[in-house]
Amino acid sequence: MEHKKTEGQDLISVKNLYVEYKSGGETIHAVNGVSFDLEAGKTIGLVGETGAGKTSIARAILRILPDHATKRVGGEIFFKGKELLGLPEQEMRPLRGKSISMIFQDPMTALNPVKTVVEQIAEGIRLHQNMNRKDSLRAAIKMLETVGISQDRAYEYPHQFSGGMKQRVVIAIALACNPELLIADEPTTALDVTIQAQVLDLMKKLQEELGTAMILITHDLGVVAGVCDTVAVVYAGELVEYGTKEDLFDHPRHPYTKGLFGALPDLSKDVNRLSPVEGLPPDPSSLPVGCAFASRCGYATDKCQKGHVEMKRFGDTHYVRCNCCEEG
Amino acid sequence: MEKIKTSSAAKRSGENDKPGSLPYIWRRLKKNPGAMLGLIFVTVLFLLSFVSPFICRYDYQEIVMKSRFTLPCMEHLLGCDEVGRDILSRILYGAKYTLSIGVLSVVVSCILGVILGAVAGYFGGKIDTLIMRFLDVFQAFPNILLAIAISAVLGAGFDKVIYAIGISGIPGFARMMRANILTVRNSEFIEAATSINCSTFRIIVHHVIPNAISPLIVQVAMGIASAALSASGLSFLGFGVQAPTPEWGAMLASARGYMRDYPHMVIIPGLFIMMTVLSFNLVGDAIRDALDPKLRD
Amino acid sequence: MALLEIEHLKKYFSTPRGMVHAVDDVSFTIDQGETMGLVGESGCGKSTLGRTIIHLLESTGGTIGFEGKDVTHLKKDGLKKLREDMQIIFQDPYSSLNPRLTIRDTIMEPLKLSGRFSGTAMDGEADRLMDLVGIEKRFRMSYPHELDGGRRQRVGIARAIALNPKFVVCDEPVSALDVSIQAQILNLLMDLQDEYGLTYLFVTHDLSVVRHISTNICVMYLGQMVETCPTQELFDHPMHPYTKALLSAIPTVDIHNRNQRILLKGEINSPINPKPGCRFALRCPYATEKCHEPVELHQISPGHYCSCCRINEIKDEVRK
Repeated sequence: MEHKKTEGQDLISVKNLYVEYKSGGETIHAVNGVSFDLEAGKTIGLVGETGAGKTSIARAILRILPDHATKRVGGEIFFKGKELLGLPEQEMRPLRGKSISMIFQDPMTALNPVKTVVEQIAEGIRLHQNMNRKDSLRAAIKMLETVGISQDRAYEYPHQFSGGMKQRVVIAIALACNPELLIADEPTTALDVTIQAQVLDLMKKLQEELGTAMILITHDLGVVAGVCDTVAVVYAGELVEYGTKEDLFDHPRHPYTKGLFGALPDLSKDVNRLSPVEGLPPDPSSLPVGCAFASRCGYATDKCQKGHVEMKRFGDTHYVRCNCCEEG
Repeated sequence: MEKIKTSSAAKRSGENDKPGSLPYIWRRLKKNPGAMLGLIFVTVLFLLSFVSPFICRYDYQEIVMKSRFTLPCMEHLLGCDEVGRDILSRILYGAKYTLSIGVLSVVVSCILGVILGAVAGYFGGKIDTLIMRFLDVFQAFPNILLAIAISAVLGAGFDKVIYAIGISGIPGFARMMRANILTVRNSEFIEAATSINCSTFRIIVHHVIPNAISPLIVQVAMGIASAALSASGLSFLGFGVQAPTPEWGAMLASARGYMRDYPHMVIIPGLFIMMTVLSFNLVGDAIRDALDPKLRD
Repeated sequence: MALLEIEHLKKYFSTPRGMVHAVDDVSFTIDQGETMGLVGESGCGKSTLGRTIIHLLESTGGTIGFEGKDVTHLKKDGLKKLREDMQIIFQDPYSSLNPRLTIRDTIMEPLKLSGRFSGTAMDGEADRLMDLVGIEKRFRMSYPHELDGGRRQRVGIARAIALNPKFVVCDEPVSALDVSIQAQILNLLMDLQDEYGLTYLFVTHDLSVVRHISTNICVMYLGQMVETCPTQELFDHPMHPYTKALLSAIPTVDIHNRNQRILLKGEINSPINPKPGCRFALRCPYATEKCHEPVELHQISPGHYCSCCRINEIKDEVRK
C-alpha cells in the first residue's frame, strides 16, 4: 500500500505494523499490518471497538508492550526518520517521555498516590532536561497552571483531586517535556461529559500552543469529530478506512464505518430504530483469511471470504479496505 | 466467526466444570508441574509413613549403640542418630505426625475461622466489631508465640499441639472469610437476587458462600505448610510431640547438640521439613493461579 | 395513567465524612408504557434513585406511589409482590451475574422463587424467555464468563422480565458495551417495551441514548432534580443552565455544524452535607446570591419544570 507523501515530511510514519501476543498456546493477532503517517502538529484518531488493537498500536510505538506476553512485533515505525522498533533500549529510553509521551485511560491509576502532584511532574522534567530540583519544581508549577490548576494546590496528593483534575495532572506530566508526539489512549472515557468537554478543550488548546502531534485513541466518533485532522478506523487489528476527517465523516465508505455511524443514536435526527452492526468482532486468535468484517457485512461476497483485501484509494487522501466500494 | 466463538465455548463448557469448582481446579492443577511434584512428594511421604514399619530394615526406635553417629552409607541410607537409631526409618515414621498435625490443625482453624468470619462479615455492625477486635487481640502475638502459650496451658502431646496451632490460625481464616463475604455481598448479582425475592438464607447459601469459598482453598494449602512448620517448631522447643516420638522438630531438637560434628543429623530432618513446606506452598500457589480468572487458559 | 408517582423522595447515607444527600427531594411521575430518562453525571444520585424506587434501598423520606397505591413502606408479602412488578437491569453485565450459575439457572431462579410454575412449565418458560431476548441455544448451559458483554446483558434482561414486571429500572444498561452492541441492546429493550407495555426508568449519563429511548427526561445534578420535561422539549428548549451546558458538551459526529460548547468552570463537588440552595450555583455562569436560598421547581410550560430560581431573568440569555 503506497502512501503518497514524500518521506521526511512526516513526524511519525508507521509501516505495516504487526503485533502478536501468545496466550495459552494460541497466537493472538492483535495488530495486522497497520500503516499510517502523521505530520507534526496534526492529530490522527484511531477509532475502533474494544479489542480492535488500538492500544497495542500505541504501545508498540512507545515500545512498552508486555515482554512476557508479546510474541512478535513486525514492521517499521519511523519517528523523525529514525526507525524505532530496531532501536536499542538505551536509545529508546530518552525518547520516551521526552519526545513521545502517553496519556493513559484511567487517571486514577496513572498517578503515584504517595507523591504530590507537582513532584510527579517535576520528576519527568528533571529526568529529561538536566534541571536541578528547584528549577524543575518551578517549571512543574508553571505546567500545572497551564492545565488550569492553581499553584496553591500543587503540593496536594492525587487523592485530594477529582477525576477531571487528575486527568489534567496526567496531561501536565505528559506535556511537561514538550514532546513532539503525544499518544492519548481514551483520555476522556473515564470522565463525565461536562468534564470531558473541558479536558478536550484544554488538550486542543495546548496542542496548538506547543505544536504537539497527537495520536488519539478512542471509541467515540464524537470525540474524533471534535479533535482530529485525520481518522483511521481499526477493525480486528487492521485499518479498514483511513482518510481526513472530512473524507470519513462526510463520505464513509467501508460498511463497518457506516455501521458505526448507524449504530450511534444521533442527537439531531429522530430515528425509531437504531441499525446495529449485527454479530461480533472475530476472535483475534483465529482470524478469517479474507475480510475480517465479512461475517457481519451485508455486502459480503465470496471474494471477500476468500482472499485478503487490499486498501484502495479514493481521491487524494481516502483509503478503504473493501472489495465492494467502487472507485469514484 | 461465530463458529470459532462457539467451538471454544463448547470446548470449555464441554468439560462441564464451573470455574472455581474442585474439578476445575484439579484440571488446571494437573498442568502445573511444580504443584504436581509437591503433591506427589507429600502423598508418597504420607503413604510411606504408614507402611514404613513393614518395609524398613530397622525399627525406628531400636537403639544400637555400636552404630551411633553413622554417616549416610549403604547400610543406613540417611545415617544414624546419637543412640544409633536409623534416621530414614525415623523420618518416614515421623512424617505422619508432621503431616497430620499440619492438616488437622488447619481443619480446626478453618472451621472456626470460617464460621466467625462469615458471621462477622454478613451481619456486620456490633457483632462484627466484637469478633474482629477479639481476633485482633489474638493477632497481636506472633503465631508461634501464641501456639507456645496455648500449648503451655494445655500441656504437651499430639492432640494438644493440634489445638494450639489450630487456635492460633483462626484469625487468618476469619479475616479472609470476612473480606470475601464483604466483597461478594456488594456485588450486583446479590442485589439482583434480592430484587427477584431471594430470601436472606438462600442468598447466603446460593450466592454468597459459593463465591466466597474458593480463595479459602489457597489459604488451606498455605495454612498446612505453616502449620507443619509450627508443629516442628513447637516440638523443637519441647512443647509439641515429645521425644522419643520421631517427630521431625523433636529430631532436630535432640540432634542440635551434635550439629558441629555430625551435621547430617540436623540437615536431614531440616531438609524434609523444608521440602514438605515447599510442596504445600507450591500447591497453594498453583491453586491461586488456577483460581485467577486473568490467568485462565 | 400514571403508573409510578414519586414525591419528594429523599435518600441520605450516613458516612464518616458526613451525611451524603444522594437523592434530595425528587418528584416525578411516569405513565404506563412510557420511558423516563434519568440523566446526570457520575455521583449525581441517579442510580441510587432507581434503586430506592424499587426498594433495593430504603428511602429516607417522601413517598413512592405505584398503580395508585402508596408503596413506600411495604414489608414482607406486600414487598414480595411489589418486587415481582418492579425489576432492574444492571449496568455491569460482568458483576450482575453470579459466576457460579449457568445462564439457564440464572434465568430459572426468579421463576423458581415465584412459585408460579410447575417443573416442565418452568423449563418451557425459561426457553421462551431466552428465545425472546435472543440467547442462542448453544450458550444456554454456559457460564457467564464464556459470554461476551452483549449476551450477558441479554441474560440480565431475561432475568428482569421473567416475572412479567410492569416497571423496569434500566441502570445504564448499555454504557459498558461497544457502540455496535449497544444499539442491539437498545433495540431489544424497545421491542420488549412495545410487546409487553413495559414502563422504563432509563438511568444513563449518555444524552444521545436517552433521547433515542425516552418519552420524558429528568436531569439531576448532585442529588437534586434540575429539570424535567418531554424529551423533544428538553432538546429543543433546555432551560436550566446545567441542562444547557450538558447538551452542548455532548460530542457530536456532525463535523460541519459544531455547536458552541458551554465550558463550565470548576469540578463537580460532593453531595456531603450540602449547603441549602442550588448545588449547581458554584459552576453556574448566572449564579447570584439568590441561588443560595432553598430551591423549588418552577413550571415553565405544561409538563416542563425547572429548578432554577433565576429562570425568568435569564430565560432570554439561555435561549441563545
